[in-house]
Amino acid sequence: MANIIACYKWVLDEQDIKITAGSLALDTGRAKSKISEYDKNAIEEAVLQAEKCDATVTSLTFGNSKAKQSLKDALSRGPAKAYWVNDAAADIADGFVTANVLTAAMKKIGEYDVILFGEGSADTYGQQVGPRVATLLGIPIITFVSEITITGNRVTATRKIGDCSEVVTAEFPVAITVLPEINKPRIPSLKQVLGAAKKPSTEFSMDDLGLAADAITPKNKVKSIKGFVMNRKNIIYKDGTPEEKVNALIASLTKEGAL
Amino acid sequence: MAGILVYSEDHIVAQQLLTIGRSLADLRKELLVAVTLMEENAAHLITRGADKVIVLEGKGVYSESYSKAIAEVANKENPTMFLIGGTLRGKEVAAKIAARLNVGLVNSALSIKVIDGNLETERIMYGGLAVCTEILAPASIVTIEPRTYDAAQSNPSRTGKTEKITVEVEEVVTVGNVCPIIKQGADITTAEKLICVGRGLAKQEDMKLAQDLAGKLGAEIGCTRSVAEDYHWLPNEAYIGLSGQKVKPQLYISMGVSGQVQHTAGIRDSKIIVAIDTNENAPIFAAADYGIVGDLYDIVPVLTEKIVK
Repeated sequence: MANIIACYKWVLDEQDIKITAGSLALDTGRAKSKISEYDKNAIEEAVLQAEKCDATVTSLTFGNSKAKQSLKDALSRGPAKAYWVNDAAADIADGFVTANVLTAAMKKIGEYDVILFGEGSADTYGQQVGPRVATLLGIPIITFVSEITITGNRVTATRKIGDCSEVVTAEFPVAITVLPEINKPRIPSLKQVLGAAKKPSTEFSMDDLGLAADAITPKNKVKSIKGFVMNRKNIIYKDGTPEEKVNALIASLTKEGAL
Repeated sequence: MAGILVYSEDHIVAQQLLTIGRSLADLRKELLVAVTLMEENAAHLITRGADKVIVLEGKGVYSESYSKAIAEVANKENPTMFLIGGTLRGKEVAAKIAARLNVGLVNSALSIKVIDGNLETERIMYGGLAVCTEILAPASIVTIEPRTYDAAQSNPSRTGKTEKITVEVEEVVTVGNVCPIIKQGADITTAEKLICVGRGLAKQEDMKLAQDLAGKLGAEIGCTRSVAEDYHWLPNEAYIGLSGQKVKPQLYISMGVSGQVQHTAGIRDSKIIVAIDTNENAPIFAAADYGIVGDLYDIVPVLTEKIVK
């Protein structure tokens, strides 16, 4: 039986983040967390593939103590069991650290034939953890995939890379990063949510993984994270008839030389 | 520290990397070294700014299979920074090299500056909501997306040396059936004028409103993610946003677009942004130079009529 592992990141919902006027600091005080959107595609694809071939789906995440809440959400999406590396180092982890941790966890789990990742996370969108993990494990990576077929121990994947598509095949074990268009993640039913509570989950500590201190120290130093400001004119015409508003707009655009 | 290394499998992007690479190398008084898989590009890379070109000669045509070979070159050259073209192929190669060399990787940098002697990058976080500034550790890899910089100017009198290295390629995947994605519309990434259609449009037939306006303006038509992915009114390559196309037209006009950050992140390099939407509080207005609060079904036909072709 094949083992499919879907990796995900528990991230702050960017819709809840406010930018503080003046300092441009991010106010995350009211932000709820969620499974990163792109990773929902990875979990969904793992589950869809497992329905077609004889496979067990496992989810894996690396997060701080609050990521415990994510396990039930992940399991309600179909995986049979969940693994979670619990350490506060996740708060400042970069792609280097996350890849080291996930790779160590994969080795500890021991059985992986297909490893699925989203193409990037919804918060940092670093777009590197999948290929890094594959390289560290010494297995092939297929990135930016829009379609997957598994036959026996062979994976055939369609990549979409800008101006062309290509079909790539590789044998187990293989890592894949998926594009959002590969599927539409399910909204778990009440039954699936209730069922998730009965599924097993395993917590790893950083000590369990035996990583050296420099393997969990980010490479680059984050100097600041500030709200992005678009310096735009913000001239909005809201009163008057459609004709009046259009006239005002055309006058402005003509003055700008934009028409 | 040998200097700054640049690589892209795409020669057009490589020339753009030389622009920022050359200016940083000059500032830091370092060498600029270009890595290429195509010997015929070597002379060109030198006249456009490289002090040295390293040509990798291998038996593969799949650029991703050169990751290990490029990592070995980077390890030997020991650069202060390695710039890689941020195409999708480039990003895969960059991450694989970063893992092999145990170095940091900043993808899709918006800018690279020298501040207090350190290299600093800026990049987008939270779907366009925030900008993250990082101080790079030595030997970091940075990818830069196509068209972030103009191509470096050629100076035919520039000289430099070329070094050829025979390398082995990895053969862990088999690639077949490579086909160009036939663009169903024009390329919106290079359009001078662009109309963007959002969910404010009630049904597919109403695309005609956008087509009429586009015809009058000589504009191309793009859309938001859900219009392409959920409704399929336009092909996937027509959606604009952080994970879709990033556009930089002279004039961008949105109709019925609410303006989530993931979308506005894709239009921020537009010269003039115009928004038409019924919801006065829609975030698109904060990102716009000019806006009309009103029903696009009332506004757009009048706009189309009044624009002088």
